[in-house]
Amino acid sequence: MQYLLTFRSLTYAQRASRVLERAGVTGTVSRVPKAAATRGCAYCVIVAARNRDWAVNLLTGAGLAPERTILRHPDGTLEVSE
Amino acid sequence: MIYLDSAATSFLKPATVRYAVSEAMRTMSSPGRGGYESAMRAADTLLDCRLALADLFCVRDPAHVVFTSSATHGLNIAIRSLVKPGDRVVISGYEHNAVWRPLHGLGADIRVARAPLFQPEDMVQAFRELLPGAKAAVCTQVSNVFGYILPVERIGSLCREQGVPLIVDAAQSAGTVGLDFDALGCAFAAMPGHKGLLGPQGTGVLLCRDEAAAPLFYGGTGSQSQEAFMPEFLPDRLEPGTHNVPGVAGLLAGVKWLQQRSCPAILAHERELLGEFCKRLAGADNVRLFRAEDPQTQAGVVSVQVDGMDCEEAAAKLAERGIAVRAGLHCAPLAHETAGTLSSGTVRFSFSPFNTRREALTAAEALLALA
Repeated sequence: MQYLLTFRSLTYAQRASRVLERAGVTGTVSRVPKAAATRGCAYCVIVAARNRDWAVNLLTGAGLAPERTILRHPDGTLEVSE
Repeated sequence: MIYLDSAATSFLKPATVRYAVSEAMRTMSSPGRGGYESAMRAADTLLDCRLALADLFCVRDPAHVVFTSSATHGLNIAIRSLVKPGDRVVISGYEHNAVWRPLHGLGADIRVARAPLFQPEDMVQAFRELLPGAKAAVCTQVSNVFGYILPVERIGSLCREQGVPLIVDAAQSAGTVGLDFDALGCAFAAMPGHKGLLGPQGTGVLLCRDEAAAPLFYGGTGSQSQEAFMPEFLPDRLEPGTHNVPGVAGLLAGVKWLQQRSCPAILAHERELLGEFCKRLAGADNVRLFRAEDPQTQAGVVSVQVDGMDCEEAAAKLAERGIAVRAGLHCAPLAHETAGTLSSGTVRFSFSPFNTRREALTAAEALLALA
């Protein structure tokens, strides 16, 4: 399972990805699936489910708190967990 | 050709800039429009450039580094964000038309802080007298005509005391004279990418204090696309439409080149050339040099007049000898009015990191031959 950490802009998603990368965790920048993009086009950082809490804490501490966290199940279904 | 018109554009650039532009055209598409490799490569280049500029100008949040097409574009955004028709705005007597005309166009009540060339104390005093009641202030960091380094830190301090937002025009200073955006506390700083920052033409940068800037253009940003209004956040709010990715890639290469050498070292080099140029002309009775007594108040730009010769004629004769300079009013009639050269104009020599002592002396000799 993966978590999609959404950000208000591509610039913020990229910066978040780099913060995670510097901390040794892969966070891939991707577009938010249309079904979960409530205001239109948006970007997210995808992290492994096990890294979710740690990543959110790290990013919040860096001033890059995600807007939402979305759980993506192996079958592709999405679950917004805020 | 000996190119001494770097105040207009940095025609002489690092080879890495040309390469970066070419590579961007070959490998990068539009950022923020897709998640595929070429789009993300473009997005990474934009972010790298924002980070490099944030580092160079001490901007805490790289999202507040906005790409524009020129300093003029950035100044228009800044002015329209802060000034309404009828608002009193204080500007220095050395401003470019990129400041003067937008303010006129808006119908602002423009108050000009006038003080003689290379007299920073007098300029500070002029701002002190005019700032009460002003809605905004604009000050160039370096005069594009005379190379005069204005005391923007002290003017910024006065503006903070009076609660007047300050716009800094860093068109002539970015890349040579330092600018600490966070410490200065100004609302905006606008600069071109193609002058001291050594990027390609068609690039510019606007540093923004907060996100309340007013968009000059409206359109797609690749974010919040279901909304009819522009995003509230930077940089998206001020960057609609497709980015000039090759331009930003070139700008990034230019900034990296600067960071490897350091802006103070480049300023010192340009001042040294200016010193050699002026020293060679010092004995000429019929050449008037607009030279600061205190070299710390002048960057690598100097204006000159030749007695009995129209400035355009002098520049044309220099061009015949392979020396590229600019004559006239340099789009800064206010500066000429303040310095008393409005009716005659001047010939401007502006140096770059790539000019040599030999070139500076050759230009001086050519000028002496005209005089």
